[in-house]
Amino acid sequence: MSQSPVSEDQVSQGQTSQSQSQSSRVPFEQLPQGGQQGQSMFTEHPDPLIYTGANGVLDEALFQDGQVRDHWGYLLNSLNELGCQNFRDRQAKALRILRDDGATYNIYGENSNPSHIWGLDMVPMVLDSVEWGKVEAGLVERAELFNLLLRDLYGPRDLIRQGVIPPEALFCHRGFLRPCQGVHLPGHHDLILHSTDLARNQNGDFVVLGDRTQSPSGAGYALENRSVMSRVFPSLFRDSHVHRLSVFFQRLRAKLTSLAPDQNQPRIAVLTPGAHNETYFEHAYLANHLGFNLVQSDDLVVRNGYLWMKSLDGLTRVDVLFRRVDDWFCDPVELRGDSRLGVASLLEVVRAGNLVIANPLGSGVLENPVFLRYLPEIARTLLGRDLRLPTVDTYWCGDSGDLAYVLDNLPNLVVKPVFRGQNSRSVYGPELDDAALNQLRVQIQENPTQFVAQAVVEAAHAPAFTGRELSARPVILRSFAVATETSYTVMPGGLTRMGLGERSFTIASQAGSQSKDTWVLASEPERAPSDDVMDEPVSREVDLISLPSRVVENLFWMGRYAERAEASLRILRVAFMMLNGDEVISPLTQHHLLQAVSNITVTPAQPLEGQNPEDALQSIIQNGAVLRSISGNLNAMLNCADETKELLSSDTFRVINDIRDALSILDDNFALSLSSAPEEALDPLVTALMALAGLIQESMIRGFGWRFMDTGRRLERCYQIAMAIDSLLVPAVPEADQSKLGEALLLSLEALISYRRRYRARVDVQASLDLVMMDNTNPRSLMYQVERLGEHIRALPKAATHMHELPSDQRQLLECETALKLSTLARLNAAEGERRLHLEERMQTICDQMLGLSEVITDRYFNHREDSQQLVLSNWEGM
Amino acid sequence: MHYRVKHITEYLYHGRVSHCYNMAHLTPRNTSRQRCINSNVDVLPKPSSQSYRVDYFDNTAYHFEIQKPHNKLVITSTSEVQTATQPGALDLHMGISCRDARHAMFQSRNADILMAREYLMDSPMVRASSELRDYAEALFEDEKPLMVAVKELTSKIYTEFEYSPASTTIATPVHEVMATRKGVCQDFAHLMIGCLRSLGYAARYVSGYIETLPPPGQEKLVGADATHAWVEVFSPGEGWFEYDPTNDCMAHEQHIVTGWGRDFYDVTPLCGVIYGGGENPVLSVSVDVRRLGDPAK
Repeated sequence: MSQSPVSEDQVSQGQTSQSQSQSSRVPFEQLPQGGQQGQSMFTEHPDPLIYTGANGVLDEALFQDGQVRDHWGYLLNSLNELGCQNFRDRQAKALRILRDDGATYNIYGENSNPSHIWGLDMVPMVLDSVEWGKVEAGLVERAELFNLLLRDLYGPRDLIRQGVIPPEALFCHRGFLRPCQGVHLPGHHDLILHSTDLARNQNGDFVVLGDRTQSPSGAGYALENRSVMSRVFPSLFRDSHVHRLSVFFQRLRAKLTSLAPDQNQPRIAVLTPGAHNETYFEHAYLANHLGFNLVQSDDLVVRNGYLWMKSLDGLTRVDVLFRRVDDWFCDPVELRGDSRLGVASLLEVVRAGNLVIANPLGSGVLENPVFLRYLPEIARTLLGRDLRLPTVDTYWCGDSGDLAYVLDNLPNLVVKPVFRGQNSRSVYGPELDDAALNQLRVQIQENPTQFVAQAVVEAAHAPAFTGRELSARPVILRSFAVATETSYTVMPGGLTRMGLGERSFTIASQAGSQSKDTWVLASEPERAPSDDVMDEPVSREVDLISLPSRVVENLFWMGRYAERAEASLRILRVAFMMLNGDEVISPLTQHHLLQAVSNITVTPAQPLEGQNPEDALQSIIQNGAVLRSISGNLNAMLNCADETKELLSSDTFRVINDIRDALSILDDNFALSLSSAPEEALDPLVTALMALAGLIQESMIRGFGWRFMDTGRRLERCYQIAMAIDSLLVPAVPEADQSKLGEALLLSLEALISYRRRYRARVDVQASLDLVMMDNTNPRSLMYQVERLGEHIRALPKAATHMHELPSDQRQLLECETALKLSTLARLNAAEGERRLHLEERMQTICDQMLGLSEVITDRYFNHREDSQQLVLSNWEGM
Repeated sequence: MHYRVKHITEYLYHGRVSHCYNMAHLTPRNTSRQRCINSNVDVLPKPSSQSYRVDYFDNTAYHFEIQKPHNKLVITSTSEVQTATQPGALDLHMGISCRDARHAMFQSRNADILMAREYLMDSPMVRASSELRDYAEALFEDEKPLMVAVKELTSKIYTEFEYSPASTTIATPVHEVMATRKGVCQDFAHLMIGCLRSLGYAARYVSGYIETLPPPGQEKLVGADATHAWVEVFSPGEGWFEYDPTNDCMAHEQHIVTGWGRDFYDVTPLCGVIYGGGENPVLSVSVDVRRLGDPAK
């Protein structure tokens, strides 16, 4: 990028965009009432959004005298024209989109509600392209340096031999993993992805605060931020000429693909610790965006020196792992022995050249901030020159001179542990009182090699929307660079995060910091990406069959839990309606209704104290177990949805969020509506579950994923129908009661209207049974479920065999179907004493057959986790 | 001396093991006084995949994976080695003094010394402490030759600690050994390493075998030998020297080295992950060190 002509362009472009926004170009589709354009807009707008910055601190958007910097002009004018209320509306819209996309960030230690919506401030961070060009060049240089550093540390260690780095800086660091010695990737780069945290200091220069090198997070969130911003502010975004992010991700995919040892249809997987990880959303999002499988420890196995994914049709080889699991958890044989997040023998597969992991195992050592202390010497040794992009002044307490300085200047420094663990935190000297400072001094002196201190950088502030106005917040930028064949490509911009308050020091997502989209303004509209990085259409037919078995298992159970919850809600709703209805129902009917509720929700029946309906109603509501049973099933369903996030559409996620919402207020609604129509409290949940079923039916590709979910659903529904028939029609009671119970059954199965249309009579047992058992046109009949199950089972992959014997799942279903077809209504209706024994036996057989079928499917298709143990218990202390 | 070493490790599981992944350090390495002539590791059931590699410490690591269900795992390592006495170990009084050694460890820019500093630091199973320093400090007078002081430490540990095979499990923390004054060879090695590091000298853990000789007139029993562990200490400018606190001596021809590392953790003879297997597998180990005569003679 040549510099002087561009900077002239930049000046003129800044002027142009200001003058344009003052004339005809209107950045928003709808302007607020009275939104006058022209010089008067700052004063006449009824509800303006004006940014004035904070006193005495450098501002990204404003000069010291309050003048707007050129590259911020268009954005700030546009926000002002939009006004506060409209901006608030857009922010609300963004929040909805984030939620529907399932964009969450999990905060550790919050067990009750760990999953938070990803925090996005809708005012972007703006950088001009000339300045960015310089930063970018510095980031490429730094990535190259860290790559060379990594190769030396796990190779000859010349930097130690030559005395450039003190031995303790490397050998004392827990991220230095000796088993990783000598592992190299194909090509020039071992470090595939390099991230830094950057801040602009009060002199206006960007300085690097630290590096992320093992599995840098944030790139996926940056992409999501961009996606939301471009949807919520389409014209503002379009007219601002923002550099695209897509090239970065195409390069990332191309690089990962090129690493595969076997270039014939390489399979790449994203290794995640699981749904409870803080950045799980990003793992699923990136896997989806890049077209890779999302896998966890249990999905993988090493066999015969290769890594395999356990999938429906057996084992599928994995060539490249894009990992989001920390180094030392990746292999229980050679690294952390008690880890459940890795794969046994993974490192040996890498050494054999049968798998590439990016970033390579052991790369976490580069996050050691002690290296920052020696970085100038390291750069001169490895690159032969000084780095363009400065690093924050860093002191290592393992050096006696540095230690003395740190102890004397503690109030002005930020102290960091050299190894970043889950509980390690940076401590800000300026925030500590004398007692805390002394305590810190003692802590440092006890173990000086384990601490560094850095100068506190007061980061430049940028405008942020705080609900009513634009306020100044400190911002830092996480950058991302990915290796290419010859160099590195830097994401234009990156992920901006901002402090919680003006001048606050702590900026960390775990502390609740919000993020911003980062706009690097192009001097002219960007052309579409050139051909060399365009995606080739890749056939994903193979992938339809190669879902990890853990994923199909979760889909199967998601179907089962959804159906189970729906059956419980429906029977409960029917019970409420009948007990509250104008027709008086007998104690006998009440008894059986309560029994049905208890059978279907699998809760103990409450003894009925009084004789009237209110008492019966009261007994259900006071039985907390019923509600717990329903919310338990729904929570289990939501967990399954989290585990299969990458397969569900954002529409599906919206409905899942509705379920989450309805669930969280179920208890309250239930208590409030006791006096009248309590059944209505259940309606939103039933509706949401129906919507979910409908969406899946209408939008999910008929691959194995869908088949397993629908198999779970059909199987569970079949079981629940049999259970309802068993509870409501097996008891032989006087005709009036019989009719009421039949009505309850039909109502709970949504078949009462069809029944009335067909028979126009009181509900009788034989006709009811025909409708809910035999009628294969009724989507809530047993026969319908069995036929669908048959279709699914026949379509699932089978082991190749020359025998003609039916597989056990098909035999089980055939027995069930035949028994249904051979049943006669009269025989089923025949009662002996107080029960229809034949019907009872038939329904119980169906229930057993369904449970049996579920077991057969589990055995055949799902992953069986075997308990592993260490052969020799090692008390690994991470050194 | 020319030896053949046969080291058999057997695990009996109470439950079936469906598959397992293991790493072994069972192949003797080459050192300044030892040459490994040949070596072979044989595993039953037969591994589905296996490989040898040279690890971070230049030891030979052997990896194997078994995919066949089994209740018993037998690993037989057979090696032929040629050993000699340590060079330059004859006159301990000639070498560098304790003070000069300490000074060199921290001030020298010599590459060997810088690299040896890795063995001055805490490691997974050995941490420096004031207790260990106090225990050994009096022996390491400034003007005394370092090697003399180390020899005295070897004798002190030999004299003051009881060899007691029943007293420790595989991983006994050093402070516990200090408290009970009992242990086995690896505990004494860890203890001695901890003392040396606490005083500012680099020391590493050596894992291997020792030939035991039967009482005069008796036939040597097969399997009566043992895996053994001792210590190497770094003398700046002079190199590494091996001391055996369990036998109160410097290592000699009868000490056969498989590998070295910061402590036991780096040279565990066999570790890994097994699937299934039930609780408390029964481990039995037998070692046989046979003299083959000295081919040099």
